[in-house]
This record gives sequence, structure tokens and C-alpha cells, in this order.
Amino acid sequence: MAKVLEGPGMDLFKKWGMAVPNHVVLTSVDQFDPLAQANAWMRNGKLVVKAHEAIGSRMKLGLVKVDLDLAGAKKAVTEMLGKNVGSGLTVSQVIVSEMVPHSAEYYLAVKSVREGADLMLASVGGIEIESQWDKVQHVAIEVGDPALAAEIEAAAKKAGFAKDLVPKVVEFALKLHQCYDQEDAQYLEINPLVLSASGELVALDAVTLLDADARYRHPDWNFTFASEFGRPYTSDERAIMEIDSRVKGSVKFIEIPGGDTALLPAGGGASVFYSDAVVARGGKIANYAEYSGDPPDWAVEALTDKVCSLPGIKRIIVGGAIANFTDVKKTFTGIIAGFRRAKADGKLKDVEIWVRRGGPKEAEGLAAMRALEDEGFNIHVYDRYTPLTDIVDFAIQGKGNP
Amino acid sequence: MSIVANADTRVVIMGGPAGTNAARRMGEFCHLIKKPLNVVAFVFPPDAGKTFEIPYGAQLVSLPVYRTVAEATAAHPEINATVIYVGADRATKAAQDALADPKIKLVSMITEGVPEKDAKLLAKDAKKRGKVFNGPSSIGILSAGESRLGVIGGEFNNLVLSKLYRPGSFGVITKSGGLSNEIMWICSQFADGVTTAIGIGGDAYPGTDFVSYLEMFEKDPQTKAVVIVGEMGGNLEEQAAAWLGAKKRRIRLIATISGFCQEHLPKGMKFGHAGAKEGLRGEGSARSKTDALRAAGAIVPDTFGALGPAIEKLYRELVETGVIAPVAETDAAALPRLPKSIDQAMKSGDVMVEPLIKTTISDDRGDEPCYDGYPASELIKKGYQIPHVIGLLWNKKLLSAQEAEIVKRIIMLSADHGPCVSGALVTIIAAGAGINMAQSVAAGMMMIGPRFGGAVTDAGKWFKYAVDQKLTPEAFLDYMKANVGPVPGIGHRVKSVKNPDKRVAELVSHVKSLSIPMPHLDFALQVEKITTAKKDTLILNVDGTIAAILVDLGYPVESLNGFFILARTIGFIGHWIDQKRQGSRLIRLFDYLVNYATPKRRDVPPLT
Repeated sequence: MAKVLEGPGMDLFKKWGMAVPNHVVLTSVDQFDPLAQANAWMRNGKLVVKAHEAIGSRMKLGLVKVDLDLAGAKKAVTEMLGKNVGSGLTVSQVIVSEMVPHSAEYYLAVKSVREGADLMLASVGGIEIESQWDKVQHVAIEVGDPALAAEIEAAAKKAGFAKDLVPKVVEFALKLHQCYDQEDAQYLEINPLVLSASGELVALDAVTLLDADARYRHPDWNFTFASEFGRPYTSDERAIMEIDSRVKGSVKFIEIPGGDTALLPAGGGASVFYSDAVVARGGKIANYAEYSGDPPDWAVEALTDKVCSLPGIKRIIVGGAIANFTDVKKTFTGIIAGFRRAKADGKLKDVEIWVRRGGPKEAEGLAAMRALEDEGFNIHVYDRYTPLTDIVDFAIQGKGNP
Repeated sequence: MSIVANADTRVVIMGGPAGTNAARRMGEFCHLIKKPLNVVAFVFPPDAGKTFEIPYGAQLVSLPVYRTVAEATAAHPEINATVIYVGADRATKAAQDALADPKIKLVSMITEGVPEKDAKLLAKDAKKRGKVFNGPSSIGILSAGESRLGVIGGEFNNLVLSKLYRPGSFGVITKSGGLSNEIMWICSQFADGVTTAIGIGGDAYPGTDFVSYLEMFEKDPQTKAVVIVGEMGGNLEEQAAAWLGAKKRRIRLIATISGFCQEHLPKGMKFGHAGAKEGLRGEGSARSKTDALRAAGAIVPDTFGALGPAIEKLYRELVETGVIAPVAETDAAALPRLPKSIDQAMKSGDVMVEPLIKTTISDDRGDEPCYDGYPASELIKKGYQIPHVIGLLWNKKLLSAQEAEIVKRIIMLSADHGPCVSGALVTIIAAGAGINMAQSVAAGMMMIGPRFGGAVTDAGKWFKYAVDQKLTPEAFLDYMKANVGPVPGIGHRVKSVKNPDKRVAELVSHVKSLSIPMPHLDFALQVEKITTAKKDTLILNVDGTIAAILVDLGYPVESLNGFFILARTIGFIGHWIDQKRQGSRLIRLFDYLVNYATPKRRDVPPLT
């Protein structure tokens, strides 16, 4: 799943005929006056200014300002852009949108499920929906089938929409499903959906999650995907994502501040078991990482570089199951090169390295790792006869550590 | 016994390079279990009509490549399954074609990054047709002792270690490819091994889920228990729990679920497979899945590390209760071995091969070429130049800076002599005829011989002969007159003592200014003194000068022509590019440039 920020998300809704508030995205305050000149709605109505970043609890951090006039909006934009919101993160984009005066708030969403889509609607919206989840009505739409207006109409009635509003809700829901289906979405949520003063339904706020794997058939997706962590990606994470996007196989990296145990495991499945094992043994993971699908050694080396640069780590877990086709010798060559460079750069002081792996060329790969001990690395190497996650037990509990 | 794939499964692989690699792995398995190769054909439009060669034991089997699935199944009616290795943008169409083919009952998709919507549509299509669609992102399916679809099971040695050559009692279903291998290994270490292992793929909506395969395992008498590896996200594990709890089941279920670390991570932080996403409102956590499975009667160890002992405990229980009859172990030493490649056999010292050729000048088997032992990058770093490379490759000698400068000047002097000389002219004619660079330049090269460019070798040969024999210049000229003819390297059509060749003067004065002994050049100049006394134009020409100097630098006579060929290649390439740039036309000789000394036109007599 890939998250799309509000601006491009709203644009997708608009593309499929759903009403959204007018909005503009700014990266510099210099853009404000020209935009105000070009857009009458900015001059004529009240405005909302929000940080256009994948940051959680924007309201609490003061990154949402409402009910502003043009001058107030410009002031808010000036204050918000470049603002440090902690952990070295600054606001680099803001979105200015029109305030839509409205009387009622509703909820409308469509979610990917195994059989197709689950269309959800409720006649309550905003923060109230959280406590009234049972009021949501569901319409199941099988993949490949069209959404049926009659079924949505019945659900809308059951959800308690006023009679004259039902046709509008049905129309909006059909458009939402079309957007979901045609844009390869995985989750679209409008909360709140509001009834404007002119009697029109408007999607006031939207969550847009798209299928990143479908990007190749959507040349008009001119946006980058945002992180889903409640914080933007760090530069190291972006660097690995960039490598991941152009190599055979995959390399993944996510930083988790404050951890003592770094992970450098192979495989999308085994990597999570290693994370679980660290947590279960009382360690704190400093990152998530994974390489798989026989990636080139330089990509694994770049990943190793980032892992070795994590602050405050005591140990690195180089785990992995018995590979099917990932060449252990070749991928370990990348890891070893990364370790050597880190050591030369003064990193890895007092850091233990724990290795367990099997697969093609396992004997050569493990021997090369073992040889690092002669170069002064604090390294412990195990083969397939040591169960997968036992190295975590050895590393954290000292149990069975020879 | 097994499920999904068995000894009768015959596969068409869709895909090129990745597909042939999988076929190779499948061939290794078939060889190990002494069964015929289960891959029958490929579908790969770019190579349709050709064959792909797949090793099977010590043989190489040629398998036909088709444009479409329909063509493959028409030619090979025994095909009943396909494994898809084509790219994500074409995989859906490939699977649709395969599902639509009446002969194909199983479609396993290895391709990763297939859009979720496509996977759902394919699953729906397969269900409607009563077929199995496995994947996307599957590592494959392996039935021990019967069939292998894909690279699941890893390399040959692992197949043996994990005892995949004969069936055990445990079924395996995993999302992760690496873990399918790990679980098969665990089952062979802690129990009697596996029946069938299936990688269903780590995507959010695998084409076939745990429950569908559990149903099949339930009906397979050989399978006594099933190990599933689940993870947070989705509800496939909950469905498996519901299936297990719904009624009394013959098979036992062991599960391990990943994703407990999520409880300790910042909210919203998710990772692992595409499908490993906790629901937006907390459903599908590792804990809730574990609870559901335990409540339904499955064995779910606390950690992955406890899985092996749990499998062992269950195995012992099933043996004690008579459900599993332990099998006598096959002697692994008696199993077929994978023939070694020549490379491997040589490395392990098992064979000695008489080399076909021998080289003494260069070697690029390392990370870069070495010329006469010197790494190219080191030569560059230390300031060596092209003449040094020529010295190493032609004469296995590292030249001094002075020597290299001489070689450089010789090449510069000989690089081109205009368009009229025979070599350049032929290159230009070829370029005009639309011939490409390599052939046009080669055409010019073919002119190099005794009359064009060949004088250097001959001059060098005779000057060397004279110096070696310690002949005086006079004795040398007498010898040449009596036995050979005109002295190569002496004489010029237009240049003379009064009109000297500037190039020769330059070269000689430069060489003479150095401290390098030049006996051949000295000798040649003495010869010139005598010959020019006889006739003004009998000067030491540029070929003779170059020849004498190169012999003095230690180049063997047979290498001398190389300097001319090398230098003039620069000119020929230039002429070819020049003609191309101008878009020059086909050259045809004008009639007035031909002397038609032919008989007058006459009648052809009748054939007798």
C-alpha cells in the first residue's frame, strides 16, 4: 500500500467527478501572492492552511490553521513552512484549501478485501464516527463486477440518510468506487463527507492508499508516495528506496529511533521473525531491514552501510533462512564490504555481529564471514544447524553463546 | 502421495531467463528422484521457434519454445500445469491465457509486484473454472519425491539435506519463500520430512489461501500434519483457524505467526511482505491470529525458535499412536549426485584438462585486465601511456619514458597518408558502398602487403641481418645487390638529399638526442651515405628509419608491421567516418580512367 498526500489525493477524486474543496500546494511563501491573484476562491472566502506532510497529529502540533482570511493564511503559510517539528523533520510543503461551510458530516469509504471491495457509508462523520462504528453500512462489490446503485441505495437508506439526500449519496459512492477500481486503489476514505451550503456533497478530507505495484499502468500518477509511519521518510530510507526501485530483488530499510539491536536479515518473512525474536527477548530494534530475491552485492553493501550508521546500536543481527536462490556468498560479499568500510570509518566500536544463514554457496559465504574475526570484528557465525532465531537468544541473553 | 503437484505433473514454463533458471533447478530435482524431466516446453514469444537447453543429469535436454500457451499445449498434450516467470506488466495476461487453456489445471505465478486487483481477478477466474491459481510472488510448489515447480528447495545440496527425495508426513504452507525452505529443513531435522510444500506468496490476497490447501491436505492420506507460517495482516490465518475448529479434522495443524514486534513499535509502522499489514483498525494482529488458531486446536509455539521442538513432539506423538510409520532412511550416499561442471571439478582437483591455447601476455579473469601481469588501472594511475601497453602486449617489455615517446612519435607519423594511398582509397570505396566500419577498415587493411606498408618489416629484417652478421655497409649493399634487389627502406619517389623528408629528419634528430644506443639506425644512416652518393633520391626513407629504430628498441622483426597496421587504422577509421559524415555516394570508376584494351565488339558464334 502506498499513501498519497492530500493534494494529489484530492486531485484523483476530482478526476473521477467528486467535488473537493479548491486547494493549492506551496513549497515557498513566494508562491502565495501569484496563486492568490490567480484563484478567486482564495480572495473571496475563508481558508484552511495545513502542513502537507506525512506527519501524524498535525492538529496537536499546530500544523492545521482554520478560518483564515487571505492575510491570515499567508501568515500561517510563512510560519509553517520550514518549521521544525522535532526529530530533525521540517515542514517543506503546505496545502491551502477553501473552507466549506456545511451543516452535516457523513462518512464514505471503500476498502480492498479478498473478494473485491467493501463500500462503507454512514450518516455520521468526522470524529463522531470513531465511537459509532456500528452505524456503518457495508456493500460488498465483487472484483470485476460493477457497483449496483440499487444496493448502495438500500444501504444509504439503512444508514439513515435523509430521503432527498440518498440519490446524491448513491451518485457519490458510485464515483468513489469507480475511482477505487480505475485507479488501483486499496483504501479510499472520505471523512467527513459534507453537505455544502449550496446543497452539494463535498469530500472535505480524504485518505488515499494506492497499489504501488500498479504504478506502471498509471502514467498520470505524477506524485511520489508518502510514508505511512506518521512521519516523512528519512534521507537514508529514501536512499535505500531509490536503490530498491532499480535493482533485481529487493532491499528495504526503516529506522526506529532508540533501539539497541540493528537488523540486517534476509527475506520478507524471516526478517519479521527476527524482529519478533528481538522484542520477545527484551531487546529494542533499531531498524527494520530486509534483502531478498538475490539482489546485487553493491545494493546489500549500501544497506549494510545504513545499518552500521544507526546510532547507539550494540549488536547487528545478520539473520536469514535457507535461501532458495539468493547467492549467500555474493550477498555476504556486499555485507562484508559494508562492515569493513564502517570499521574503517570508526563505526562498529563495541558492536557485536551475529550471523546465521543457509542457501546457495552457504559454505563459502559463512567462511568469508568467519574470517572477519581475524580482522578484529566481534563476530559470531552460525550455519543451518542452528535454528533461525537462536542467534538472537545468544546475542541478547548470552544463552548458549560459546 | 502429495497435493497439487505430483509425478504426473507436466509443466510449460512461461518466461525467458528466469524461467530457464527455474527449469534448471527442476531438472536437478528430477535427476535426484530419478524421474523424467517435468518441464516440457516454454512460452516466450521473443524466442518462439527456438529451443532452450536444460541440464538434466549429465545431459542437456532441448525444450521447444512457443509463442502462446495454446501452441504449447497443442504440441504437448501431456502439459497440465504452468509456472509463470514473466514481468509484472505481462504476468496477468500470461495467467489469463493459461487459465483459459482447457489442458492446464494449475497456474503458479512466481512474478512479484503484480497489482492486487489483477491477482483478485485471476483468483476469481480460476475459481470459476475449477482450477488452482497459486501466487503471485510464490516461490513454487514441491512434492517430495514427486515434483518440483519453481526454485523452491534451493540448491541441490539442500534438496538432499532436507530429504526432499522421498515423502515424509508433513505438509507445509507459507507465504515467505525463504521460510518454506527453512520449514522443510526443520521438518527433515525434527520429523520425517514433508509431503508437499507450497509457497502461496506474500501478497495481500494470494490466489489460493491456507484453507483451500488445508482441504486438499486433509484428503491426502500421506499427510498427517500441516505446518503453516502466517503473519500479521489479512485474515487467512483466522480462516484457517475457523476451518480447523469447524469439525473434527484428520490432520493436525502447527502454526507460527510473525508480527508480534508490531505491539512494540510506533503506531502505523508496518513492514515485511506486501500482505503483512495490520488492518487500519487493528484487526489481523499476530496476537489475534495466534489466539484464534490456539482456540481452534492448532499448536502455536511462542516463538519461531520453539517450532522445531514442537514439530518433533508432535511427530513422536504421531509415531507412538501409530499414525506415522517411521520409514527406513535412504542411504544418502546412494542417491544420484549432481554432475559437476568442468569448472567445479577442476577446482576440486577431480579432473585435469589439457589447455587448448596458451597465452603469455594478458589475463582478464580477475576484476580487471592485467597486461603482462600489470593491472590496467595501476598502469593508468602511475602515468603509463598507450605506447607502454603496446610494449607489454607486443614485446612483454615495460618501456622507459624515452622509449615510449619514440613509439608515440612513430605512430603519430604513420597515422595517415591521405585518401589516395591504396588502403585509404579502398576504405573510402567501401564506405561509399554502404559497408559498415569494421568491414570497410578491414578492406583497407587487406591492401597492406609487400607494396603498401610492408617495407617496414623488410627493412627491419635486412638491417638486422647486416648488424647481426657484422657486415660493413659496403658489404651489405653488395650482398643485397647480388641476392635480394633494391634495399627496402632506401629510396623515395620524390624526396631527396636536397628535398629531405621532414618526418625522417625530426625522428632521427629526436632519437639521436637521447642516450639510447641505436646500432641499427646508425648502420642505416651509413648505408644512406653510400647510396645517396650514387643517386640523390636513394635516401633512408620513413619506413627504413622506423624499422631501424624499432629493431633498436628490441622489437622482433615480425612485430614491425604491427606499428603500421595500428597507426594506419587510425587513418582508415577517420576516412570511413569522414565519408559517412558527408553521406558520400557509391563510387564508380569513370570510363576515361580505364584503358579498355579489349577486342572490338564481335558476333558470338553458335555453341558447338
